[in-house]
Amino acid sequence: MENNLAHGHRFGMVIDIDKCTGCGTCMVACAAENNVTVRSDESDKQRSITWMQLYKITNGKAFPHTEVSYFPRPCMHCDEDGHGHHTSPCVTVCVATATRLDFNTGIVSQIYTRCVGCRYCQAACPYHARYFNWWDGYKLIQPFPKGMERSLSPEVSVRTRGVVEKCTFCHHRLMRAKNKAYAEGRREIEESEYITACAEACPVQAITFGDLNNPNHKVSQLIKSPYAFRLLERLNTKPKVYYISKKDWVREMADNYLPGEFKPISTAAVGSR
Amino acid sequence: MKFNGKDITELLALNRRNFVKLILGGAVGTGLSPIPWKLADDTAIWTQNWPWVPVPPEGEYVHEKTICKLCPGGCGIEVRKVDHRAVKIEGRTDFPVNPGGMCPLGMGGLQLLYNEQIRFTSPMKRVGARGAGKFVSISWEEAMAILVDRIKGLRQAGQPAALASIDGNPGRSTMSVLIERFMNAVGSPNYMRIPTSEDTYSMANMLMTGNDGPMAYDLENADFILSFGSGLIEGWGSPGRVLNAWKIWKENAAQKKITIVQIESRASNTASKADQWIPVKPGTEAALALGIAHILIREKLYHSEFVDRFAFGFSDWITSDGKDRAGFRRLVLEKYSPEKVAEITGIDAAEIGRLADLFGRARAPIALCGRGKGFLPGSVFECMAIHALNALVGNLNTPGGIFLHDPLPLGLLPQLEPDAVAAAGLKTPRVDQIGGSAHPFSQSLIENFSDAVISAEKSPVDTLLCFSSNPAYTMPDGGAFNKALQKIPFVVSFSPYHDETAYMADLVLPDHHYLEKMDDVVWPIGLQYPLYGITKPVVNPLYDTRNTGDIIIRLAAQMGDTVGKAFPWKNYEEVLQVRAKGLFDHSSGLTEYNGPEAWSRISEGGNFTPDYKSFDEMWKKMISGNLWYRPAHRYGNWGGIFKTPTGKFEFFSMQIDLAVDEASRQQDKETVLMSMGIHAKGDDAFMPHFESLVSEEDHGHYPLKMVPYEMINLSSGPYPNPPYLNKTLFDNQLFGDESFIEINPRTAADYHLGQGDRVVVGSSRGEVQVRVNLFEGAMPGIVYMPLGFGHTAYDDFLRGKGVNPNRIIAGGRDPLSGYSIWWSTPVKLTKI
Repeated sequence: MENNLAHGHRFGMVIDIDKCTGCGTCMVACAAENNVTVRSDESDKQRSITWMQLYKITNGKAFPHTEVSYFPRPCMHCDEDGHGHHTSPCVTVCVATATRLDFNTGIVSQIYTRCVGCRYCQAACPYHARYFNWWDGYKLIQPFPKGMERSLSPEVSVRTRGVVEKCTFCHHRLMRAKNKAYAEGRREIEESEYITACAEACPVQAITFGDLNNPNHKVSQLIKSPYAFRLLERLNTKPKVYYISKKDWVREMADNYLPGEFKPISTAAVGSR
Repeated sequence: MKFNGKDITELLALNRRNFVKLILGGAVGTGLSPIPWKLADDTAIWTQNWPWVPVPPEGEYVHEKTICKLCPGGCGIEVRKVDHRAVKIEGRTDFPVNPGGMCPLGMGGLQLLYNEQIRFTSPMKRVGARGAGKFVSISWEEAMAILVDRIKGLRQAGQPAALASIDGNPGRSTMSVLIERFMNAVGSPNYMRIPTSEDTYSMANMLMTGNDGPMAYDLENADFILSFGSGLIEGWGSPGRVLNAWKIWKENAAQKKITIVQIESRASNTASKADQWIPVKPGTEAALALGIAHILIREKLYHSEFVDRFAFGFSDWITSDGKDRAGFRRLVLEKYSPEKVAEITGIDAAEIGRLADLFGRARAPIALCGRGKGFLPGSVFECMAIHALNALVGNLNTPGGIFLHDPLPLGLLPQLEPDAVAAAGLKTPRVDQIGGSAHPFSQSLIENFSDAVISAEKSPVDTLLCFSSNPAYTMPDGGAFNKALQKIPFVVSFSPYHDETAYMADLVLPDHHYLEKMDDVVWPIGLQYPLYGITKPVVNPLYDTRNTGDIIIRLAAQMGDTVGKAFPWKNYEEVLQVRAKGLFDHSSGLTEYNGPEAWSRISEGGNFTPDYKSFDEMWKKMISGNLWYRPAHRYGNWGGIFKTPTGKFEFFSMQIDLAVDEASRQQDKETVLMSMGIHAKGDDAFMPHFESLVSEEDHGHYPLKMVPYEMINLSSGPYPNPPYLNKTLFDNQLFGDESFIEINPRTAADYHLGQGDRVVVGSSRGEVQVRVNLFEGAMPGIVYMPLGFGHTAYDDFLRGKGVNPNRIIAGGRDPLSGYSIWWSTPVKLTKI
């Protein structure tokens, strides 16, 4: 196995914040696809599990100049830092090798049966993308909706209490696509064959998914936009989830800037895009 | 004994030194061996293998197609199944309404199917107090016998009209046709429908164009969207379709091809994401529309060919008996100058001018009405004022505008022949006073029904049947319907869910979940071309439930006599076939869809080659593809499409004029107008005009206004919210069991309220306790309360979470239509 991301696939995501309507379909699609548990009190955000999470932001201006927007936040699937020393923050700290950065796909995996529940990774993740199971989602914590286990998908294992879980870029869908390709005698999958549940469900198609290493994939073209950015980019975690917004106030929300530090993009400088 | 010169007994002695050596050596040895690592790994695995952790069974993967029925939007869905289990709902790409996308509610549909705690698993008889939700399971035979005896008893007593029904099925759906037919066969005129924005729109459309067809907006081809509070990305219309249109607009907006303007008092998602937000005072939208009309007329930006040749009542006119009547032009120019409108609406006069200019000069502008999701009715004069804007720019029946259609030519059921009992019963006045002179254009008024039941000593209704609706929760009437429900001797629910209305029922005959049954979708709301959908069961019924369509047919058969004869079908599917046969006989369409987008290839004119040859073939294809549609339209034809008394588009509604004249024979005109709730004087009453919200409340006592708002990720209609959607709510919308109001920090400061403070919101109808969320996007002086919380039924995922604003709504009635005004209630805040 070649230990170099430049050569394999690097699956990533581009989310157009200006298109995103904040409807939450991505969150529901993700939960339904990945057998995520529900509690009767989902308003306790320290306990609620949301692999894909919407964050609401406002421009902070007074009425009637107020504007709201949303950041859909999956796992960022952070990459090598470019110096060959560190991989994703969570991978670096995991004592049980339960989470790995796959050098063939760029996906940060989570292997539940290896997880010992120490929650180092959760503390290390700057994006709060990891969730700890404080309870057994099924049976032990009552009231679990009776009969709801009938909608569980066999493609994703059900987690128990004591393990950490997070977005996997719907890794099982990659497996599905690969199996199909192999069965048809192909070694490579098409761009449209592997797409995450959130990207598929988005009714305004604000989420684009694909291989960042493949120049023909839409994602690699989209990230060239001068309006493309990543969350907390200066931490050098190299997230593979990109965002696009033409609104300066939205881009400014993506990192912690000192007063005057954020440089707005003037439309004139970029040209008539 | 010696070993290496040392005494062995000393070496083996269990002294302190040796003990420490043993322990240390052991620890180092174990550490160097793989044992601890293997054990840690195994422990992680062992502690995750409990018998109660479900292992979802593997099986054959199949994908079944159908249509979502959780709103009138009719989005195509595909259900992924593993053997017989449904595991995921996804959007369909081979259905023209929604190219792959859908809304969060539709995505969560399986949680409504499989959550046994919110479903009725068999027919039920109430044993506890009303509202307590205590039932015992009974057989279908027993349940049917109870209901048949009850209705037979009413007929024998000569009181068939004491049977009433409330129907939440979409208008023109086969279910609604069947329910109304049953009521007529029994002999009761008291068939009522849950009002929605479609009713308001139909009324406005009927009054101005004389057209009874569905609302049809060519959104995808429009280039200027002027939305009067429609929650375009908050669930308005068919969400899968409108969200897709939004995507198209946004992509075009990048090339400056399209502008979206949202007129609404709160910085909603739609307002924030639109190109421009016009923060109008709630309830003054009609004035703003008329202000825009004023500029369009004054600056001659209107479509003069349409207005001069195909519209009536624009200029002043003279009646056949020589009376002078005012026209729309005069009304608007005299009373709705931008300055005056600015005063009413709070929008700058220059801004109104700019909006009118953009609207008037756009290639394909479209003005939309229907607040929020459109689940609740709007104001009819406001809708007319907005419709007048569309007429002024001549976008009726033009690409990118509003299409005028006839209703789908669905097959008619055979003529009903009521017997003597039924004929007499049908002549009794309706409990909701429809047919009287006060609200001549409304189909039903549950508000009047509730008032009549509450004020009568003995309820005029003995048995109430509730279909596909949950009025006890959704009626925006300050709790009036609930009060009425308490007085009705016998309530029957056909709901599949443990909803609030079912909890008040004495008998429950549960319907299937929508994924378990066959039903139809008649023209998804707002779609610009005709579409008829057939849903099919994608999973076998889980419980002892029955399709209500089948149950009505069986009910009629058991009633016997003429009632039984009126329902000659074996099952509901046969009725659907009769209806679909009408499409085959009177129209032609397609039953397969595989792109390009239907809206982009709407062909001009009426000729159309269908993709089927016989009805059997069409039906078979419809069952497999769930679809019949006709991407064709005859544009223009302004000389032939208006079915008003004048044959033209009526800025001055002759139908209102005639209705008022008719009623004025018994009483004077002013009394008639007052009884309709119209406060305008003179000819204004017959034209789109602004009626300021008149409330009996003392404004000193209730200084603020409460405006409910809807969210796309919280079900506020008749269906429960799937638990997954609770994940999407923020903890400043719901925290624990408390929901939040949004208020402007300035208003909050007046009441010394901070973020998270608890506060009582009181109106003349009652009080609710909530917490405060400070939001800059809230208009000062207004309290915004989300719709969809505060259930008292269902299970722990819904019950007791937050409050339902419907309980304290007291906004009076909309002029002419008579529906509750839910978008503005005078309230006060009390900090606790």
